[in-house]
Amino acid sequence: MHCAVKEKERAGVINPILTCQPCGAQYASIGIEDCIGIVHGGQGCVMFVRLLFSQHFKESFDIASSSLHEDGAVFGATHRVEEAVDVLLMRYPDVKVIPIITTCSTEVIGDDIDGVVLKLNNELLPEKYAGREVHLIPVHTPSFKGSMVSGYDVAVKDFVSYFAKKGEPNGKLNLITGWVNPGDVAALKHLLAQMQVEATVLFEIEDFDSPLMPSGREVSHGSTTIEDLRGTANALGTIALNRYEGGQTAEYLESEFEVPAIIGPTPIGIRNTDIFLQSVKKMTGKEIPQSLVRERGIAIDALTDLTHMFFADKKVAIYGNADLVIGLAEFCIDLEMKPVLLLLGDDNTKYPNDPRIKALEEKVDFNMEIIMNADLWELENRIKNEGLELDLILGHSKGRFVSIDNNIPMVRVGFPTYDRAGLYRHPVVGYQGAVWLAEQMANTLFTDMEYKKNKEWILNVW
Amino acid sequence: MPYHEFECSKCIPERKKHAVIKGPGEDLTSALPLGYLNTIPGSISERGCAYCGAKHVIGTPMKDVIHMSHGPVGCTYDTWQTKRYISDNDNFQLKYTYATDMKEKHVIFGAEKLLKQNIIEAFKAFPNIKRMTLYQTCASALIGDDINAIAQEVMDEMPEVDIFVCNSPGFGGPSQSGGHHKINIAWINQKVGNVEPKITSDYVINYVGEYNIQGDQEVMIDYFKRMGIQVLSTFTGNGSYDDLRAMHRAHLNVLECARSAEYICNELRVRYGTPRLDIDGFGFGPLSDSLRKVGLFFGIEDRAQAIIDEETARWKPELDWYKERLQGKKVCLWPGGSKLWHWAHVIHEEMGVEVVSVYTKFGHQGDMEKGISREVAKKLRVPYLNAHAYHNGPWKGYEGWVRFARDIYNAIYSPIHQLAFVDISKDEIATDTKFVTQKILSDGNVSEEVKSSNELREYTGKYDNLTTIREKTYPEYPLQKKLSVV
Repeated sequence: MHCAVKEKERAGVINPILTCQPCGAQYASIGIEDCIGIVHGGQGCVMFVRLLFSQHFKESFDIASSSLHEDGAVFGATHRVEEAVDVLLMRYPDVKVIPIITTCSTEVIGDDIDGVVLKLNNELLPEKYAGREVHLIPVHTPSFKGSMVSGYDVAVKDFVSYFAKKGEPNGKLNLITGWVNPGDVAALKHLLAQMQVEATVLFEIEDFDSPLMPSGREVSHGSTTIEDLRGTANALGTIALNRYEGGQTAEYLESEFEVPAIIGPTPIGIRNTDIFLQSVKKMTGKEIPQSLVRERGIAIDALTDLTHMFFADKKVAIYGNADLVIGLAEFCIDLEMKPVLLLLGDDNTKYPNDPRIKALEEKVDFNMEIIMNADLWELENRIKNEGLELDLILGHSKGRFVSIDNNIPMVRVGFPTYDRAGLYRHPVVGYQGAVWLAEQMANTLFTDMEYKKNKEWILNVW
Repeated sequence: MPYHEFECSKCIPERKKHAVIKGPGEDLTSALPLGYLNTIPGSISERGCAYCGAKHVIGTPMKDVIHMSHGPVGCTYDTWQTKRYISDNDNFQLKYTYATDMKEKHVIFGAEKLLKQNIIEAFKAFPNIKRMTLYQTCASALIGDDINAIAQEVMDEMPEVDIFVCNSPGFGGPSQSGGHHKINIAWINQKVGNVEPKITSDYVINYVGEYNIQGDQEVMIDYFKRMGIQVLSTFTGNGSYDDLRAMHRAHLNVLECARSAEYICNELRVRYGTPRLDIDGFGFGPLSDSLRKVGLFFGIEDRAQAIIDEETARWKPELDWYKERLQGKKVCLWPGGSKLWHWAHVIHEEMGVEVVSVYTKFGHQGDMEKGISREVAKKLRVPYLNAHAYHNGPWKGYEGWVRFARDIYNAIYSPIHQLAFVDISKDEIATDTKFVTQKILSDGNVSEEVKSSNELREYTGKYDNLTTIREKTYPEYPLQKKLSVV
């Protein structure tokens, strides 16, 4: 009975869990007001990422391409970045922030985008756009390194380090959420409001869930401002919820501006939310109010109805972003479930030394495998060919056929979740998220019992 | 005819020639909008890349194949599960995708060893699959890996497998269209003529440029089989790799989407003398004409006519039910490449719908010459239908066309669509109407005669209309002629 941490043995990927770095940088960019990124690479690197976002949110997001074509690949394509910045500034008079996001092709050909930015800052901007506030930010996200998770991490750091500027203390808390949904941001802001804490949230993405208004369609876009980003240097402290999705930004603010940092844990489940609130209390000196004690009580009450009767000993496989997977696993353990297989979708060398993974290795008293650099075949092959028995799968929509073909119920969680309606609206973090997740899992198991006629009568009375 | 300069394009003069306004009586061929030019950098473009044009659009619909991309993981992830090309082998090609997962060290030291390892691993993971398509990406093209050589090496070591290589990196052309061309030519150069098929009919075709979106191919194949025609291969939707290696033995190439697949038809004509016949599965008129043309080619018009009569009798009353209710309604068309003019015309003819604008992201100028749009190119706030992936398709075939009409009807007469225009802070809210149905909304302006018609009826097909097709058996037509050696 032990927990084994290992790397996927195969060299290749069959059904990837995560996409590449530029996607993460693009996800960060749409969280900032008056920001349209330019992805320097082939058009597919943008078009498919926009498609992915629109599948997940059922909304459209603006991101531009430098449209690398054959001549650029041969002779260099920095001129296309120059032209792209000009076109974007002409067509979008409100745009102020333009990250220039590299891809594998433009990193391989060695386009010097930092040099291009310098040139544009010295020539195009003062000559043609004098008096207009424009920020060009190089973001290096070669696709052959890391994953969309590290791409997000890199971009958050690049945005913050570009703007952060020491000034008067603003008494606010920096909250770096990591790659989350609008529902998560709403839940986190609710917790902070209950504690009467003012925070700079990176990023303010609640408006990704945008309305259809009588006057016409509203645009889905994040609303974190340049001022918000500048002010991060003057905060009381930074809490980065996800170690691998914003953690290095918290460290940067600490080392550069002496803003104290707390990294993690991802506040999934009761225990991790408790720790998050303790962190907030520690940084701000604010008390945890009775309203949250009560909210927590409601959550505990809901979970108690489910744990020993329905969840106990259920075997779960979880895949996705490392922070999410670990957070979900910890929550499942509190619910008496057995997360027997954790699939981390990229090859970050820090994973083996992650204290949360270390703790699982030391303390888990059932058989658990943690696979790094995993793909979805690691899951499917174990089910189909190696006799792995599962009661539930937790993961995003790209793994839907593992569930469908093997008749294993699945709760969609993470990114993307395009094959279920409206999931981006619901939180997985905080006490609200704990209730939502547990009840989703329970109802999914119940539906499966009925569909398979597997003790479906048990719910006659409950 | 004036070019139309959109407000947003004023700052980019070269864009001006990409859109035109067609006035009454004007001939569109006098001023076609430009297409297939390099994208202007900084555009928020809907265009894809040449890699996706090859792999995602044309390669992957092939059903019994491991589809592997040689590069970082993103290209593979992004082009996986984002189209609705299904297949009758439980959608194998839709479910599984393969990336060699190129990392920084491979970029520096080369990734050929990694590629070989990947190919072997993939065949090992799926021991029943012996065929593979292998796609270059930007990264593997730039570092110069010799993919063909590695594929050959594996084929030499594993004689039971066959591998097709497509070198179409993302940067190779203004849009996905460049990739269409590359994979067409690569396929005929590498694979056609490698397999000799069993000929079972006097009438043998390849069905080309058809991708089985939501089952279109299966609907169309059903008609051909009922005519006693042997469909040797489909390029590529629901198509089989080995069948496509035998394309040279068909008597006729029946071409659906010219934009993506006319290249291979043209090459088959040059190299094997196979004639090409362009057909269309969208719309009762064009479909009937198409079946007639195919029948005429083989001298079996009677068989075609029997199908046309049967299908028309079955589905026309349902199409007309919608036509009566869609008269004069405006829609915006957003198909892929070559079908745009065709659709505009047929939708108007057969459904009474007015097409107010057409748009193409990877079409060429040639596509613009093919037909005549009736209306002014002007974007209105109108219900939108995705003509690329369909709503509840298939939309090809007689029944499919009724499904399309039904989908348009449901979009236009959605009670929610009506509610979306209401501003509760300003508008008078009627308190007496509790609900409306689509029919209440649509039938307000419909005559009593139409409403009480015994002939017209709403769509009566099933949500899934493919299972019945897959279970069908077909009449046997014994071979008449001696097989000729081409």
